[in-house]
Amino acid sequence: MSELVLQCAQLSKVYKSGERSLTVLNDVSFEVATGTSVAIIGPSGSGKTTLLGLCAGLDVPSSGTISLMGFKLNSMSEDDRAYVRNQFVGFVFQNFQLLPTLTALENVMIPLELRGEKNILSKAKDLLGRVGLGDRLHHYPTQLSGGEQQRVAMARAFMTSPRILFADEPTGNLDEENAEQITRLLFEINREAKTTLVLVTHNLELAEKTERVLQMKGGHLVNERLTGVATHA
Amino acid sequence: MIEYIIKIKKVTKNIFQDPWVWKMAWRDGRHNLSRLFLFSASLITGIAAVVAISSLNYSLQDELNRNAKELLGADLVLNGTKKFDPEIIQTIEPTSVKMAGDADMASMVMFMNTQQSRLVKLTALQGDFPFYGELVTQPTNAYELVKTGRFAMLDESLASQYQVSSEDSIKIGNKMFKVAGVVQKIPGGGGLTATLAPAVYISLSALDSTGLVQYGSRVGYSIYVKTNSESQTKALIEKVKPLSKKWGFGYETVEARREGLGQGFKSVYQFFSMLAFVALILGCIGVASSVHIYAREKRDDVAILRCIGSSGWQAFNIYFIQIFVLGVAGSLIGAAVGVGIHQIIPYAFKEYIPLELNFAISYRAIVEGILLGALVSVLFTLLPLLAVRFVPPLTVLRADFDQVKVKSKARWLALALIILFPILAASYQTASFISGSLFTVGLGVALGCLSLVATALLWIARKYFPVRASFLWRHALSNLFRPNNQTRVLMVAIGLGAFIISTLNIIQNSLLNQVEFTGNKNQSNTILFDIQPNQKEGVVQLIKEHHLPVNQVVPIITCRLKEVNGKLVEEIQKDTTKIPEWALTREYRVTYRDSLTGSEELVEGKLQAFEKGKKDSVYVTISKGMHETLRVKLGDSLVFDVQGVFVKVKVAGIREINWPKDPPNFLFVFPTGVLENAPQIYVAATRVNDPQVASRFQQALVRDFSNVSLIDLRLILSTVSELFGKIGLVVRFLALFSIITGLVVLAGAVVNSKFVRMKENVLLRTIGARTTQIMRITLIEYGYLGIFSALTGMILSLGGGWVLTRFFFEVEFAVNYLELAIITSSVVLLTVFIGWFNSREVISTPPLQVLRKES
Repeated sequence: MSELVLQCAQLSKVYKSGERSLTVLNDVSFEVATGTSVAIIGPSGSGKTTLLGLCAGLDVPSSGTISLMGFKLNSMSEDDRAYVRNQFVGFVFQNFQLLPTLTALENVMIPLELRGEKNILSKAKDLLGRVGLGDRLHHYPTQLSGGEQQRVAMARAFMTSPRILFADEPTGNLDEENAEQITRLLFEINREAKTTLVLVTHNLELAEKTERVLQMKGGHLVNERLTGVATHA
Repeated sequence: MIEYIIKIKKVTKNIFQDPWVWKMAWRDGRHNLSRLFLFSASLITGIAAVVAISSLNYSLQDELNRNAKELLGADLVLNGTKKFDPEIIQTIEPTSVKMAGDADMASMVMFMNTQQSRLVKLTALQGDFPFYGELVTQPTNAYELVKTGRFAMLDESLASQYQVSSEDSIKIGNKMFKVAGVVQKIPGGGGLTATLAPAVYISLSALDSTGLVQYGSRVGYSIYVKTNSESQTKALIEKVKPLSKKWGFGYETVEARREGLGQGFKSVYQFFSMLAFVALILGCIGVASSVHIYAREKRDDVAILRCIGSSGWQAFNIYFIQIFVLGVAGSLIGAAVGVGIHQIIPYAFKEYIPLELNFAISYRAIVEGILLGALVSVLFTLLPLLAVRFVPPLTVLRADFDQVKVKSKARWLALALIILFPILAASYQTASFISGSLFTVGLGVALGCLSLVATALLWIARKYFPVRASFLWRHALSNLFRPNNQTRVLMVAIGLGAFIISTLNIIQNSLLNQVEFTGNKNQSNTILFDIQPNQKEGVVQLIKEHHLPVNQVVPIITCRLKEVNGKLVEEIQKDTTKIPEWALTREYRVTYRDSLTGSEELVEGKLQAFEKGKKDSVYVTISKGMHETLRVKLGDSLVFDVQGVFVKVKVAGIREINWPKDPPNFLFVFPTGVLENAPQIYVAATRVNDPQVASRFQQALVRDFSNVSLIDLRLILSTVSELFGKIGLVVRFLALFSIITGLVVLAGAVVNSKFVRMKENVLLRTIGARTTQIMRITLIEYGYLGIFSALTGMILSLGGGWVLTRFFFEVEFAVNYLELAIITSSVVLLTVFIGWFNSREVISTPPLQVLRKES
């Protein structure tokens, strides 16, 4: 049995709005082994993005426990969870989430700069070259197309050589051609870096490229199946 | 696990150990430089005002310390209302010191070149005054000529006003004097003193020949002494002290003059520095408001940073560094501007400064200004920036994710410091914690009132705006309520400037209205005083000959208080009683009559006639103000020393007096039958409407009764008007800082909302709006903002002006609505211009550019 990178046990999330409360996640448990890839699918409002946020330590559950790389996220402060994210986690978002005031190169360098590491320029340039943006290093996000922005976001995600990568609808804002390129790159680099991948998507075709699919509905994990794909084979 | 967490804690870095936050601050800030600069621009005006005023204060203090003797002109000055007794002169030992003297009094002077006459301060000099400082005349030998006989020098402004040259003559009393020259500078004179009481200088030996000094004349005598050493001065003061009480004169030392002037300047400085401080606080509010929006806009960026591992404090530090650096930069620029203004002051306001100042750069003021600027830029931006620490990283996934309100110690600390800062800063400025606290509370109340008025105006505008108005007018109004528009902050900031200016205007008009006599046909506007009893009939005849009404001819008797309720004045002075010294020791000018005049009303008691033969039946009436000052009530007894005769009286009535109405008015009025035989002079009052008749009448008066002086109340009106013009200029200059700060905040707000505006305009263009329509909407929007801001200030100034005129100045509340309309229009035009100037890009940006940016 491979080492577990992520363990979720009986996760629930309830949002309170005035006197009303809304349960968006209810008693969800699953585990993710190191080096595997998992897709979380489900209709809008099924709780998949909430689940991703909890797994990545962006929020804490109302009940249940999350262990990421052995860290019990629900008992840690926000700043400590930020530290864990910086050390072990990479992100790719549907709307890219690049800092508009930084160039592509600077955006990619940030995570390692945050760690205080030196001599990171060449690594950032290499990664941007790897995603096909070697000639766009000093462009700002507004000067790049959607596909290019997402590639910068991917380079940033892999900059820290994360142990686990969370991707939220990574192709959701892209046209078919760009989506295909991003998907290819995502799985290629992921395979090269031997990173664990957890992605949330509506796109079944994309989900089928992972090893395991978790299906959410109404805040519950209703189905779990293996796709037969071996990501890091 | 615990070990892991401990390890995580260890890597926490403070702002100085974390180069990444500095790098990020620069990377992020370089794209917002112009916008961030606008934040600090609000600070620049405030710091500039503070540095300029502080520098002026330090220059004045330095000058006072260095040249105090020049202000007095001597080491010691004795002042009295009688000629100095030989015993006093002997005590001074004229052989061991240098002595000079003067006598001054109010007198009429006729300018022979134009045959015009006016009341002046006549100063008769003797000896080599001044011993310190300069008597600058034009020509330089003018004073030497004056000493030789019937020559006179005039204050430069007076000579200029009456076009008097060295060839002309003036008539003083019953003698002609040739003009020897003009006085450009004299210790203790010039500036505002010359505006209030322009002086004519003659020699003391020539004064007697004028026939002006008669019984009842109010003459002030001074002796100036120059000693050989400090110790001699001290010894002389010790010798003079006991004589001072015996002979009833005062004395002034260099130290006392310095302290007195220093105290006077301190009050003026405190007032102006408070105005500058208001501009600074306004700037701070502007900065805080802009940073609040800036921090809110940075929420998404912070969420990304948090997502990839930045701590809350790191995110805070990035924006804190930006704001702090710009705060320091703004303070530096503000200090530089302040120094520039300080250098202009001697040229712009030289009339108000009685000293030749050394306008060296005050490094203390600069350092204080920079520290103050850095401090306020940190303090007032802490609250919005601290909120950045709690931006949840989940925002990257859900933009609508509600931030949980976190109770933070840092936030409470920041709040406490923000409240404490104005109190401490104002206490520092006023050198008094109580004054500082009161000022802060006052400022808080003023800003609160402005904010309330602004809120009410906006509410009314929204609620009652005509729905049938055209689209442009309605849309422009709704733009004021755009999120992050800072409309209320702008209304308060600009409104405060308008408030200061219009309040000053209201007070000025109310005071001028008080001395304006054109409204009441029967009211006296010309007062004749120092009429000797044997001249009374002649003066009345002269008035009648000129077909003028004789409104009043009243006797005046001078006397002093001896006892109050059986207690000697000297005993009362020793008491801890709160009766002021001046009220006990002053010379009272009283009259006698058995009736009230039109300007009086008996509010308590009754008029009681004197019963012949009953000495204890002298019942006087007292003015309401003096009744409060002396703390006497009906039935209380007073003893007056009337030229050496003690007269016991009882208070029978209290009169409320409308002082400016129908002068002269009196603090004490005796019944007839008591003072008729006491030495007395007369005052007559008449009304002259025609300036030509006034001129002829004054000429005849100076010719026939040269010792009689005439006060032309119209002249006082023009003097008050001139004085207000000068003081008003300084206050307006400082109030302008508030307006400028408000406009800078406005420019910042326009830049802040630029992209939102662009999107709105694109939408309007998409549905068919033309550029001119968008331009009109923009102009109307800023027109509304200007009107609402000005109205905010106006409404409050009408209230504040009413309170001040009614209770502080105790005059009738008078408003010149035309002038208020001009102030309003100026504020509106300025606001529209600044709004339009900063919106040019918004109006001219092509829609496609915005749409591409959006997509």
